[in-house]
Amino acid sequence: MKPVAFDYERAGNLEEAVALLRRADAGAKLVSGGQSLGPMLNLRLVRPELLIDVRRLQSLRRVEESDDRILFGAALTHAEFEDGEVPDPTGGLMRHVAGGIAYRAVRNRGTIGGSLAHADPAADWLSALTAVDAAVQVRSQAGERVICLSDFVLGAFTTALAEDEMIEAVAVPRLSAASAWGYHKICRKAGEFADAIGAVVVDPERRYCRVVMGAVDGPPVLLEEMAEALAAGGAEAGLAKLDAAVEVALPEAAPAARQLHAVAVRRAIGQVYGR
Amino acid sequence: MKQVSLTVNGEAVTAAVEPRTHLADFLRSDLGLTGTHLGCEQGVCGACTVMIDGKPMRSCITYAVACDGSEVRTIEGFDGDPLMGRLREAFSTHHGLQCGFCTPGMLITSRDIAGRLDGPDEARIRLELSGNLCRCTGYVGIVEAVKSVLAEGRTVPADIAVKPRRAAGPATFERRSDGAPSKPSPAPQQAELATRATDRKNWTVLAESFDVPHSPDDVWALMQDVPDVAGCMPGAEVVEFDGRRLRGRVRVKFGPISAAFEGEGTVDSDAAAKQGTISGEGADRRSNSRAKGLVTYRLVPEQGGRATRVEVQVEFQLTGMLAQFSRSGLVKDFAHRLTADFARNLSLRLSGEGGSALPAGETKEVNAIALIFSVLWRRLKSLLKG
Repeated sequence: MKPVAFDYERAGNLEEAVALLRRADAGAKLVSGGQSLGPMLNLRLVRPELLIDVRRLQSLRRVEESDDRILFGAALTHAEFEDGEVPDPTGGLMRHVAGGIAYRAVRNRGTIGGSLAHADPAADWLSALTAVDAAVQVRSQAGERVICLSDFVLGAFTTALAEDEMIEAVAVPRLSAASAWGYHKICRKAGEFADAIGAVVVDPERRYCRVVMGAVDGPPVLLEEMAEALAAGGAEAGLAKLDAAVEVALPEAAPAARQLHAVAVRRAIGQVYGR
Repeated sequence: MKQVSLTVNGEAVTAAVEPRTHLADFLRSDLGLTGTHLGCEQGVCGACTVMIDGKPMRSCITYAVACDGSEVRTIEGFDGDPLMGRLREAFSTHHGLQCGFCTPGMLITSRDIAGRLDGPDEARIRLELSGNLCRCTGYVGIVEAVKSVLAEGRTVPADIAVKPRRAAGPATFERRSDGAPSKPSPAPQQAELATRATDRKNWTVLAESFDVPHSPDDVWALMQDVPDVAGCMPGAEVVEFDGRRLRGRVRVKFGPISAAFEGEGTVDSDAAAKQGTISGEGADRRSNSRAKGLVTYRLVPEQGGRATRVEVQVEFQLTGMLAQFSRSGLVKDFAHRLTADFARNLSLRLSGEGGSALPAGETKEVNAIALIFSVLWRRLKSLLKG
């Protein structure tokens, strides 16, 4: 299928991009890699009046390192993370996650900011970056603001972004040397949409621990009690809370779906504790 | 039309293109380079894979207009390439193709594997090839062909490092209280409305309920104003209502997907039992999609009649373009959120706080949901109507 006709502008800089976004109102879509938007355009599920291309903006490709985090421009591609072309503040988690997104040909073009803005619950970045407590830096003509990823997604394809806002960068905290992570994704075929994602980060030095159950129907779910038990008592204590936590978080899910989600989280925890 | 200048197989090309023309169509139709094949046109099958600026990418979900200044290399551009020559030979030797439709994409991906990865094992080769579908070979011949070329030896860039695992795991500690902001995820209430056996196959069924702090009589009375109640649904509007039949519109926005369903419905209510149904159907002309729905609602007294539980069951079916969006779980989640918005607005209205011009709320549009809502909405209206 071919998309419906739309206009196309390549923004020359960020100011131009947000100005175009503002002027076009709800009929415009920002596009960078377009690896999620493209299929929806071709299927005519999405019918924008204007595409604003920001893929080549150098300011969206920056990497800024500071002591406690790294700021990644929104238009960095998954493959750039996979190949280690940018530093990894998460001890390999980001690199591992990037390498498992869709297929190489998609990773070569799809971007980290685009994936977050699209807010598909099955997307890898959403769960992985929520697990490390990353935040998005957002810009509109009115100014900038920062939104924690745990507050960013309101539902499937629905974010806290206003119509005239765009993601400029993603701020990812540095995990300390003693930290460990686990990430397990279940999908029917390599590269397909995930059926379940478990993402776990344990960082004793920063007294940080988070357990994320992703690829649910809505925003990624934080399993808070489990994270607390995991931090205080280790794997056994955390896993003891797993089934109940999944049931509370997904009351309407079919038993098989709950089981998938529990397995993904369990395996992610297993990676953290080396089994 | 937009002017683009790019390099294709080493030659400079300047052309005027429609923004919606994807690169594969541009290559095939405008430049006559039909070696690039189109299978799914949604980035799944890999038949259209070409090299853009030295990296394999999908030409069906990359628009030609976005390739201004890029260097594109199609299967036709590899005639003198030694590595591609070896792969071609190996594909032939190992029966890596039958009908040949996937072959251009397979070759380009295979060349990327051979050039980028250092001694991948078969599992890795298969993983890397997973984005290219072949319906003939069972992949055995293709994988053998790639392996045979790799076996000939070749210097490759470093592979992705695998994180070493600690055996013991991290130490235990007391978590910082701000280590993870507590975000209670409100568990949607499951309506107790009995699900009737339905002969409607392939319909989606949703049940929701919410409580309002008013007596069932008050709620029922307020619900007689169908257009008013409809206004509590984000994006919904009743255009005509004669007491039983209604006409209306529902606009839904589900992320990048938006739709506007126009339709008709019938409200049948039983004032004594404080329950009713709304049935209806509508169409989104832009997407040529249709929705049919049935909403069943009931008011149940709570707290000795001081409060009311509103139970709603929505059944709907979506056909046409929007029905291609097959991920029903996401649609359900959207419907839940929409219902939550509706309940909040209705509750405010029943408390005398809501204005008639309600914002669209947080809920953005969805296709299937749009239908659901149009239905639900009508039902609610009819509910209100009594």
